[in-house]
Amino acid sequence: MKHVFILIVVGIFVLAGCAPKVVQQTQPVAPTVVERPLAVEDSGAKMKKEGISEEELAEAKEEQPDRSLQAILQDIGFDFDSYAIRGSELPKIERVGTWMKREGATNLVLEGHCDERGTVEYNLALGQKRAEAVRSYLTKMGIENGRMKVVSFGKEMPLDPGHTEEAWAKNRRVHFKVDKKG
Amino acid sequence: MKRCSLTFVALCILCSVTLAEARGYIDIYGSSFKKITIGAPPFKGAPSEKLPSDMSDLLNKDFDMSGFFITAPASLMDKELLDEGVEKPAIKFDNWRSMGVELVCKGRLQQSQNGDTTLEAFLYDTLDGSLLLAKRYKGRESEWRRMIHRLADDIILTVTGEKGIMSSRVLFTAGVRNLKEVYTADIDGQNVAKLTNYRNIALSPSISPEGKYLAYTSYKEGKPNLYIKDIEKNTEIYADRSDGTKIGTFWLNKSTILYSHTTGGRSAIYAYDVEKKDKKTILQREGILASPAVSPDGKKMLFVSDMYGSPQIFVRDNDSGEIKRLTYYGTYNSAPAWSPKGDLIVFVSKLEGGFEISTINDDGSNQRVLTNDGTINDSPQFSPDGRYILYSSQRGGKYAIYVMLFNGENKRLLKFTDYNEEQPKFMP
Repeated sequence: MKHVFILIVVGIFVLAGCAPKVVQQTQPVAPTVVERPLAVEDSGAKMKKEGISEEELAEAKEEQPDRSLQAILQDIGFDFDSYAIRGSELPKIERVGTWMKREGATNLVLEGHCDERGTVEYNLALGQKRAEAVRSYLTKMGIENGRMKVVSFGKEMPLDPGHTEEAWAKNRRVHFKVDKKG
Repeated sequence: MKRCSLTFVALCILCSVTLAEARGYIDIYGSSFKKITIGAPPFKGAPSEKLPSDMSDLLNKDFDMSGFFITAPASLMDKELLDEGVEKPAIKFDNWRSMGVELVCKGRLQQSQNGDTTLEAFLYDTLDGSLLLAKRYKGRESEWRRMIHRLADDIILTVTGEKGIMSSRVLFTAGVRNLKEVYTADIDGQNVAKLTNYRNIALSPSISPEGKYLAYTSYKEGKPNLYIKDIEKNTEIYADRSDGTKIGTFWLNKSTILYSHTTGGRSAIYAYDVEKKDKKTILQREGILASPAVSPDGKKMLFVSDMYGSPQIFVRDNDSGEIKRLTYYGTYNSAPAWSPKGDLIVFVSKLEGGFEISTINDDGSNQRVLTNDGTINDSPQFSPDGRYILYSSQRGGKYAIYVMLFNGENKRLLKFTDYNEEQPKFMP
């Protein structure tokens, strides 16, 4: 627990001191306050006017420091070269859907990702299909389509840069992010 | 381009060469060909010490990269050979022949007061001493690399019937994991120029045949949008900001581009005319559509689709609209590109652990696997003469760009920046 707390504090200092990240940006959240999801910023278009050093990029964490939100918005995993939703992943999606119904004003960005194997272009298309599949399931649960945006990153933003089956499995994901601009 | 079917041995017997006439010493379209041993000793005559040896080093490097030559190492050349003159009477061809050198390239440098450098180059056949090429190159001393590349290309033209690629420029992306920009550079790594500076991810760049427009996919506005830029005016002339993934551009002609668009429902391949500002749907279907590429005669279009459950390459007849499957082997075939000669298609194929570059005939026959390193190889593209393939490979751990002959031989690493380099294309 202590370990995690230190990480969060370090994370805040890192994020606070950094220039905004290249593609995704989240504002640091103080660990003692449970922020409303809307306070977490996703500045997709407000990008990066300042420079970013390579170390900053390497350290950049996509995960929001808010742990309770993290517990709800968990990554959905996929099989290699597939955009079919696995049965084992359904509870996670349903948890997101239930949460979205409660948080009526919150919108999400669904990011589609792939592991490093395969070609750049096909993976970009595959990531799109993965995220669309999740969006489609949430729509069937009754969430309005317009509350969800889909962005594919293909294999460009792996969670784990390793070359093992484990790393690849982590990278084949749909990741949820709160969309401030709605 | 007419293919020479004469073998090297037959040509030696036939002899009788006119100056600077391109004759095919090598039939590179045979299943394998014999490389020619060429000697290029340091050039004579320049006052500055380093230039002659720098020049012949670069020339030898070009010969090596071409895949047609074995370069005779300088260590084999004794003082007598190195001191030799450049004109025919001064050359002891039997000395060269006894070393196994079949062609010898001699050069003489002259520098004028104002820094202009003139290189006179001579290419001889050591078998009979005949002069195959005599050319003069002129420029500022700082342009010496360009002169050497032109000489190399001219020698390659003389020996193989087609100019070399040593004067080419390459378009590519370079960067780190989530920060990639579009660059161009000389194939030897010099004169690197950055074409985008959005501090974001740029992917799949391509340049129109007359060099006027740059197309690319970028996340600068938060999602993968397709942009087309007028390079000279530095203005954006088209952007597709619709929902979904837009990537994979192919220039059909100097103003029309094809690209694919994947959404949750139907995916599409569009043709957009930059001048008429007109967008047409070429193909639309459920599932994934990616990487359109049209044959040199314009009659057929390649694309990738998962309609059979996994990525495979298909050929569409542009007149009838009929679609045929091209690839049957393996569970993942993608990133196709057509040879400008029309006969060969290069693509990426998943084989055992790796993603390898393969070629196949346009009727689906004779798949040949050109790489075999078990890593991720991607984005193969032919040179304009169809003889070389550029591709990116992760085989060294980092993504880097390689060039090889169309038959997989003579793979050479290219290097432009210190970053991951991917998605290379020859500049028009």
